[in-house]
Amino acid sequence: MAVQGIWSGTISFSLVAIPVRLVTAVEPGRVSFHLLHSRDYSRLARRMFCPEEKAMVPPDEIIRGYEIMPDKYVLMTDEELESVSPDRSRTIEIIEFIDLGEVDPIYYDHPYYLIPSKGGEKAYQLLVEVMRRTNKAGLAKFVLAEREYLVAVTSRDGALTLITLHYSDEIVPDGDISPKKGTIEAEEEGRIRKSIELMTEDFNPGKYADKRRKKLMDLLATKVKEKAPVVSPAAVEEEGEGPADLVAALEESMRKVKESK
Amino acid sequence: MAGATIWKGSIHFGETDVPVKLHSAVREERIQFHLIHKQDRVRLRQQMICALEKQPVPADEQSKGFEVEDGKYIIIDPEELERTAPEGSRMIEVHEFVKSDQLDPVLLDRVYYLEPDLTNVQGNGYNALAKALKEMDVEGICSWTMRKRSYLGALQAWGGMLRLNTLRYADEVVPAASLGLHNVVLSEKEMTIGSELIDKLTAPFEPRKFENEHEKKLRDMIEKKARGENIAILSPKRLQPTDPGQLLQALEASLKKAA
Repeated sequence: MAVQGIWSGTISFSLVAIPVRLVTAVEPGRVSFHLLHSRDYSRLARRMFCPEEKAMVPPDEIIRGYEIMPDKYVLMTDEELESVSPDRSRTIEIIEFIDLGEVDPIYYDHPYYLIPSKGGEKAYQLLVEVMRRTNKAGLAKFVLAEREYLVAVTSRDGALTLITLHYSDEIVPDGDISPKKGTIEAEEEGRIRKSIELMTEDFNPGKYADKRRKKLMDLLATKVKEKAPVVSPAAVEEEGEGPADLVAALEESMRKVKESK
Repeated sequence: MAGATIWKGSIHFGETDVPVKLHSAVREERIQFHLIHKQDRVRLRQQMICALEKQPVPADEQSKGFEVEDGKYIIIDPEELERTAPEGSRMIEVHEFVKSDQLDPVLLDRVYYLEPDLTNVQGNGYNALAKALKEMDVEGICSWTMRKRSYLGALQAWGGMLRLNTLRYADEVVPAASLGLHNVVLSEKEMTIGSELIDKLTAPFEPRKFENEHEKKLRDMIEKKARGENIAILSPKRLQPTDPGQLLQALEASLKKAA
């Protein structure tokens, strides 16, 4: 199955340019729940709805707008948005490489994968391999819809990940809440160090996911004894949803709106 | 200045208890667009639409179901799941410590500052813990319940300060193997030159160097458009992809340029 892209363009370092698509790297709903209609147990889908017409709106009738006064919007087409920083709207130009270990995790925001488009596979793999060997990340700026992102491109399991970073002016100063310097009791420090040593393990993040899943399964097992599963009616495929990548892009931007609340 | 305290709790492992207050470490104030219906310029709202009736469904008619098999769901209240965590324990329980470099950046979510909560505690466990974590280069994998939700996180020291970095669950990450990437054979020469090039282009990480230059330009464009002026449409810069057969030459030329 071809993976849907949120964005497509090229990623470059020095004189090498690689055609790529951007896809999300995390799906919080992967092991989770679906929203159902309590009356008919039909699946619910998130759609944009026009309160005036009381109707669903297909993606090709949707445009971005900036509210300049209450209920008054300046509309911006995709072409206009791309014209704000035309150098960065279709290219991710790696400005420099950094040692991954130097990045303060406070800067990490949202992870994506980059997938090579046709003809880009070889240069893509070169970048993956070389960054893996050197434990480096490429820094770049690029524009997606209305936002410019500072990003770190890294190598992970044979793929390129793109992690959006916060700008330094988005990091809250901590001067007023930082701890006061004080003498550290040697005995207390020794006790803490000893506990840490005893409790240090190799990190296996899957362990925690399994634990959560088991908890969920146990709860489901008791639920299913109380009440049989419900059957969801098969729904007819919707028509006129627009091109897949546009739907994906809209969903992505909606997710962002939701998260920023 | 740091914002208000979000939550109070106590870090716990072994015989150690360190009371702390949580503060947000990131504040985003970015330009916000809304999605608008082109035809009537009405701001669109997100609605949950019933796949069968094709009608919006109000919140009180929505249930959550876990799909046990195709089309079959167990209806569940997700809050029940969270309820199994000790309610109101205010404990940040550290399960284990791991080397900092073992944390995959893809798992790292949001960072919170931890301020020492000295209201009713003597001693200096906070500073001792921060020092130990930093010197031992480890982070504590921990969980806690805050606002009716359970969180997984990494307790880390940065500077003299303790922080909580919330973690995504590993099964929320799309496996790279599912991306359908194909293996391409690379020559050792391409790899060597590629590595040399990246070393040449390496600089220290200085995030302060990077400003959001785009936002001001975007605001200018919005103002221009609001005044009724025309916007010049500029076509985005597109780079010519490097021909796979010319990769080595491109790398060599890059290396020369970087020297």
